Amino acid sequence: MRSLLALAAFLLLAEPAAAQHQHGKPGAAPEAFTATPAFGPDGTLWLVRALADRIVVVRSTDLGKTFSEPVAVTPEPMNLDWGPDARARIVVDPKGGLVVTFAIFQDRNFNGRAFYSRSNDNGVTFGKPQPITADTTSQRFETAAVDPATGRVFATWLDKRNVAKARAAGKPYPGAALAYAWEDGEVGFGPTSIALDNTCECCRLGVAFAGPGKPAVVFRNIFPGSIRDHGVVTFKDEKTPGPVRRVSADEWKIEACPHHGPSLAILPDGSYHVAWFTAGSARKGLFYARADNGDTPFGAPRALSQPNRQPARPYLLANGMALHLVWKEFDGNKSTVRWQVSRDSGRTWSDPRTVADTADASDHPLLAATAGRAYLSWLTKAEGYRLIPLEDQP
Amino acid sequence: MIRSFLLALTLVLVSAGAQSADLQSFGRGSWSKLRAAHDGQPTVVHFWGLTCAPCLVEMPEWGKLQAERPDMRLVMVAADPVPQDPARVNDMLARADLAKAENWAFTDRFNERLRYEIDPAWAGELPRTLLIDRDGQETVLTGVADLAEVRTWLDAQKKR
Repeated sequence: MRSLLALAAFLLLAEPAAAQHQHGKPGAAPEAFTATPAFGPDGTLWLVRALADRIVVVRSTDLGKTFSEPVAVTPEPMNLDWGPDARARIVVDPKGGLVVTFAIFQDRNFNGRAFYSRSNDNGVTFGKPQPITADTTSQRFETAAVDPATGRVFATWLDKRNVAKARAAGKPYPGAALAYAWEDGEVGFGPTSIALDNTCECCRLGVAFAGPGKPAVVFRNIFPGSIRDHGVVTFKDEKTPGPVRRVSADEWKIEACPHHGPSLAILPDGSYHVAWFTAGSARKGLFYARADNGDTPFGAPRALSQPNRQPARPYLLANGMALHLVWKEFDGNKSTVRWQVSRDSGRTWSDPRTVADTADASDHPLLAATAGRAYLSWLTKAEGYRLIPLEDQP
Repeated sequence: MIRSFLLALTLVLVSAGAQSADLQSFGRGSWSKLRAAHDGQPTVVHFWGLTCAPCLVEMPEWGKLQAERPDMRLVMVAADPVPQDPARVNDMLARADLAKAENWAFTDRFNERLRYEIDPAWAGELPRTLLIDRDGQETVLTGVADLAEVRTWLDAQKKR
């Protein structure tokens, strides 16, 4: 009898485990797979990695050929946000201070909590991660950027505090809110403000600076009629977000979030450059558009590649007056990173070239620059991490 | 005592078997196998995801349609871009009364490749439904499906 009970207990306990293992990889909880770079003022490459349940930082002083031993940012295992457009990020302030941002899932409904951690000893140690804001409802897609004029760290994210408030009042609230805060003298982020309500809730943000104290944020917005097209908000000063400028009327009416966010760069001539994905009724695929400055409308969208090559995950980088653009596409066997550069403020572009490829899963392609040279930063399952110089491409 | 316990144990095992979907791993090459297995038969393939909120709202409607049309060849594919815990996929299928459908879940993180094999122009939006007729002709329904349209299609297949 006892053995029968033991058998029953074993069967009941074994069932979920068997269900997990029976179908092989990956079989368990989903995991983040990202590597995000930032160059320090001395040319050191800092890389933040999300590894299953922890965040680590490594450094390279030889442009990615060799890396230091990883330094832990998270002192204990955390339930990291593994969403396809989420990533741990790192920025370097003008004094060489490092700020890492990342999010965790608080529950099974994808409510997030955004954290930051600072290192003021050149990455030897990182402070215990602190929430970026006091509100506990939900924050995701946190993105930090350093004001190049003041060195102050700006953080923006998608925040659901107003969803909770609306729900409590029995009112509908589509999407999330674009929230922001400024770092307050290296001890933490100051009070949170909401720049805009009712943005799309699961796409990464893009940030660039239009001038001192004037960050510009590109995001997937919800326009009237549940149209999820892109908008840019440029701050008038550190505390005053400007109006939404629509990037393109793609007319993507969708009651879901596509987990596919945009990218933004601003050149020294003040011109704005945005690349994005859409499946709208007006156009489908990957697109680029430019605007002469922060006030003028964006020009006509230019298609990047063909929809049947799955063009995705665009990224823009201003490096002096050179404007670099990469994206990922799939040729039937391999994912490739395609690259274009413009040297006339985005008016004309080099022919697209493949600068890297892989035959298995990969992170989004990213760009970073140091000493006037631009690099592709790409984590792939088969090859690992690669830093690939773009200026040397034939 | 032992007999009643054995009966109870049997009931537990049978009900567990009925509730847990026989989830198949969808990887490289799975699409052509799936298509071959249903070749010449009108088939409905519904792509959904645990990370797709509208999908989870729609799922029980598919469960009801399956109950209403037991002869419908329904294939459910969980196509989350980041593969999900099979136990949670099974749990959602059971809650939508779809545990007995033919169930698959993406288990390969090379999502681009899986999508390309199914449809090179599919950017991954969910939900998505394919109505595949006897001749292999596909009708794509993007977003939450109009089940009246699916019923009309099913009726039309019987008349052919």
